[in-house]
Formats: sequence, C-alpha cells, structure tokens
Amino acid sequence: MARRKTPAERLTYTTFTLPAVVLYGLFFMVPLLLGIYYSMTDWNGISQSYDFIDLENYRNLFSDNRVLNSFAFSLRYALYLVLIINVLALIIGLMLNANIRAKNLFRAIYFFPAIISLVVVGLVFDQIFYHAVPRIGDLFSIAFLQRNLMGNPEAVFWVVLFVSVWRECAVPTVLILAGLQTVPSELIEASILDGAGSFMQFRKIVFPFLIPVFSMNLVLTVKSGIMVFDIIKGMTGGGPGTATESIGILIYKKGFEEMRFGFASALSLSLFLLIAVISILQITVLRTKEAGQL
Amino acid sequence: MRQRNPTGDILLHLLLTAGAVTILIPLYITIVTALKTPSESAASFFALPGSLYLDNFAAVLGKSHYFRFFLNSITITAVSLLGEILLVPLFSYAVVRNMDRFYFKVIFMLTVFGIFVPFQVVMLPTIKLFSRMGLLSFPGLILLYLTYTFKKGAFLFVGYLRSIPLELEESAYMDGCSVFKTYLFIIFPLLKPMIATMIVIDGLWIWNDFLLPLLVLNKNHLQWTLPLFQFQFKNQYTFDFNLAFASFLLSMAPMIILYIFMQKYIISGITKGAIKG
Repeated sequence: MARRKTPAERLTYTTFTLPAVVLYGLFFMVPLLLGIYYSMTDWNGISQSYDFIDLENYRNLFSDNRVLNSFAFSLRYALYLVLIINVLALIIGLMLNANIRAKNLFRAIYFFPAIISLVVVGLVFDQIFYHAVPRIGDLFSIAFLQRNLMGNPEAVFWVVLFVSVWRECAVPTVLILAGLQTVPSELIEASILDGAGSFMQFRKIVFPFLIPVFSMNLVLTVKSGIMVFDIIKGMTGGGPGTATESIGILIYKKGFEEMRFGFASALSLSLFLLIAVISILQITVLRTKEAGQL
Repeated sequence: MRQRNPTGDILLHLLLTAGAVTILIPLYITIVTALKTPSESAASFFALPGSLYLDNFAAVLGKSHYFRFFLNSITITAVSLLGEILLVPLFSYAVVRNMDRFYFKVIFMLTVFGIFVPFQVVMLPTIKLFSRMGLLSFPGLILLYLTYTFKKGAFLFVGYLRSIPLELEESAYMDGCSVFKTYLFIIFPLLKPMIATMIVIDGLWIWNDFLLPLLVLNKNHLQWTLPLFQFQFKNQYTFDFNLAFASFLLSMAPMIILYIFMQKYIISGITKGAIKG
C-alpha cells in the first residue's frame, strides 16, 4: 500500500520534474507550436515581416513537383529498405545463431557498420563509387560498373540503397539474434523428435518467438527509411538533379537554402502526419499479431 | 544433439565469410588508400601499400584542427550524457510515484507524444529560435541533445521503474529518509544497468550525429565535431582521394578503437535499449 504523501514531499517530486519540463517545453514544445504557426505564413526565414496566408502552403504542397518527387522517393526507398533489411537480418541472424566457428568474431564484424557515423559512411562510399567501383568494372569488364553510377538518376537510387543497407542492417541483425535466444531449446528438441523438417520447425516454433523483434525492426527501418538524410547528404546531396531528393533533404534545402521557410514548415508537418499515420498503422497491425513477449 | 551436415556447414561458413568481406572491404580500402601515395593508388587501387607512407595523415592534420574537433566531440558527448544522467532518472522517478496526479500524467503523456515527432518536423523553428536566443553554439547543441535524449530516456526509465517494488523505499521512509535521499541512496543505485544502456545508445548517437552539428555549429569553425569536420573537409580533397581516405580513417579511428575493446558492451547495450524501448 502506498503511503499518503505530505505536501512537502509532493513539492519535492514536482521539483524533480522541473528541469526536464522547462527544457522540453522551451526547446521542443515551443518550436513545435512555432512551426505550426510558420507553416501558415509566407515567411522566408529572414525578413522582419511576413503575411499570414492560412492553408495556402499546404494546398501548394500537392502541386509542387519536387514535393511529390521527394515523397515518392522516400516511400519507395523506405519500402525497399524495409524489405531488404528485414529479410537479410533474418538470414544473417539465423546463420550467426547456428553452430559456427568464430561466432563472436563474425558477430563483431556484422555489427561493425552500426558504430560508424552515417555521414562518414556516405562520404566513404561516395569516394569508393567514384574511384574504386569503375576500376572493378574495368578489371572484370562489367560494363555497367564502368560507367559513373552516381551520375545516373536510376542507378543512383540503388547505390544509395545499397549503402544504407550496408550501414543499417547491423542493429536489426543483433536484435534477431537476441530474439532467437528466447526460443526454448526444449521446444526445438521436441520438434526434432516429432520429425519436423527445418522449415516446419522455423515456421511453427522459431518464428512466433521472433514476432516482437520483427515488429521492432519494422518500426526502426520504416522510420529511418522515410527520414533518410545523412547518407544522402554525404553521397549525392540530393542529386543528380533531384534524383535522390528525400523529404528530409528537401526540407533542409527549402528551409535553409531556398529561403521558403513557411513552405518548408508545412512540408515538415506533412512529414509528421505521414510518420504518425504509419506509426498508428504499425501499432494496430502488430498488436493484433503479437504472440510472444521478450 | 543435432547431426552435422558437412556440405551445409561449409556453405554456411562461406556465406558468412562473403558477408563479412562485404562489410570489411570499405574499411580495407580506407586503410590502404590512406597509406598510399597518389601514384601507388593510380597503379593499383586495391593492393597493399608498398611502404608505410604517413604523409597523408600529416597533411590532414596540418590542414585542419583535427585534435580540436576530436576534443569537441568528446566534450559534447560527455557533457550531454552527464546532464542526461542527472535529469532523466530524477524526472522518471517523480512521474512513476505520482502517476495518479494530473500534472505528472500530462507531462508524461506529452513526453511520449514527443517520441513520435521526428526531429525534421521541429528542425526549422528550433534553429530559428536558437539563432534568436544566441544559442547556435556548443551549449545550445548540448541543450538540444539533452532535450531529445530526454524524450526516449524518460520512456525507458518510467517503464523500468514501474517494475521496482515500493517496499524498498517504504522502509527507507520509515527510517526517516527524505524523498531526495531515498532517490539518491535507494533508487538511483538500482538504475545503474539502465544508465549503462543509455550511455551506450545515446553516446553512440551523439558522437556520430551530423545533422544537429551541421545546423547549430556550422558557422563556428572551431566548434566543429568530427562528423561535421569530415563533411566540410570534402572541399579540400576533391582532387586528392588519398587525403580523403586518410581523413576518413582519422574520423573513424576513435570509435573503432573503442569498439575493439568494448565490443561486448556496445552490442548488448544497443540490444537491451531497443528491446526495452
């Protein structure tokens, strides 16, 4: 039974929260509200005066080709990222969980990309695709590698995606590996005695225990896919043309380089709407499917 | 015991090795190119360097304030983490013990709401606000890291604290301990594993973060962090990629060294944090 708290104790508890509340209010809630306000103005980010233009910016979002392009890019990018990473993480996780030699060494190597800064990963691969990949093409006479992949609007999508997968597969993989440790070994042994094949064993016994990890990985990768910024900034800056202009890159450019602050604010709030819808969908879909607990 | 299938076993190790090579090749290229002269790289991009050529590193260090940026990264990461350790458990404890009260319920709900708002949504107004308040500097950046790590941290800690039985602190109260002393001597020590997890996750994020330093510190050249330095150094190596790779290696080196020694803790910290989140 909880004791009744004295007024002095209540005051202490309230004081405990104050530093965080001030910080959060001032540097998070205030900017959020300011952003909603700016999104209804035509402010360029610098001038002293600007006009309140209601929902004009939001209406213009739908007719702006670069906005539509950036949404198409980010959604397509996120879709592939989610598919590839979740399949790869499962495969690598299962392999690392098998009875293998040098298990810890392999695990350390597969996790390694996660400790390198995203922008540095982008810059390193930018140089590699610029200088090293064409030489591999020369060496083995592979025509499509000899061309400059970074200059080709369609190829560059796959290059950036490859680099993201290289960097972002690590965490989902170790999470799958952690999930696999939750499968009780008695169940596996019993299924072997019952004569279940490897696939049957995976589907009926292992997979249900992985569902919570899967849902987590899904949330992680969808968000990092839709909000991709660092790797693109390091590799292409959004180019060639607007070929790799993600929503994040476009907000940055519109807000800080092209001086359309109000418009960029409306764009960023529409990104919030997209993320919110996806989060709610994920939570409802995954809640109904969750079987095990970690 | 399961019987082993030798062909499958070999295939498994081959596949794992192929994957490991794919992951390590960029690191290999970075290291060998950083140690070569331009003419060596022109002759063969992938071969090992003929001799230990260190002029690229000397050139990068000579052209930049590398050690300064390294120190900046350490200071920003350390101070942000320290602030977080002071702030987040204290806040979470107060919230967990007062969930029945309106004020605490509301502030916690607002905090959880914030987790769903990506940084890019508040990026523009935050930077305008900071520019007006004269906070586009070191302290400003640390305040932002505190704000953003607070959101997730509070959620994690509230979840964890809920599982700690009340009896522990009840007896402390009986013995005449104040709320603050109870927190400090009874609760805080119990939170050590969570704090370790938080240090790994947020430390890694802050150390590697690029967007916030780009927005907040870009104009203060001497306050740059390593990732920002790396990005800005791009202009200096357009024609000399040996120099580029030497700078990459210098940027990655501190984290790689840390990873070699703390690998176990880093991996388990990230795993625990994600699973509890």
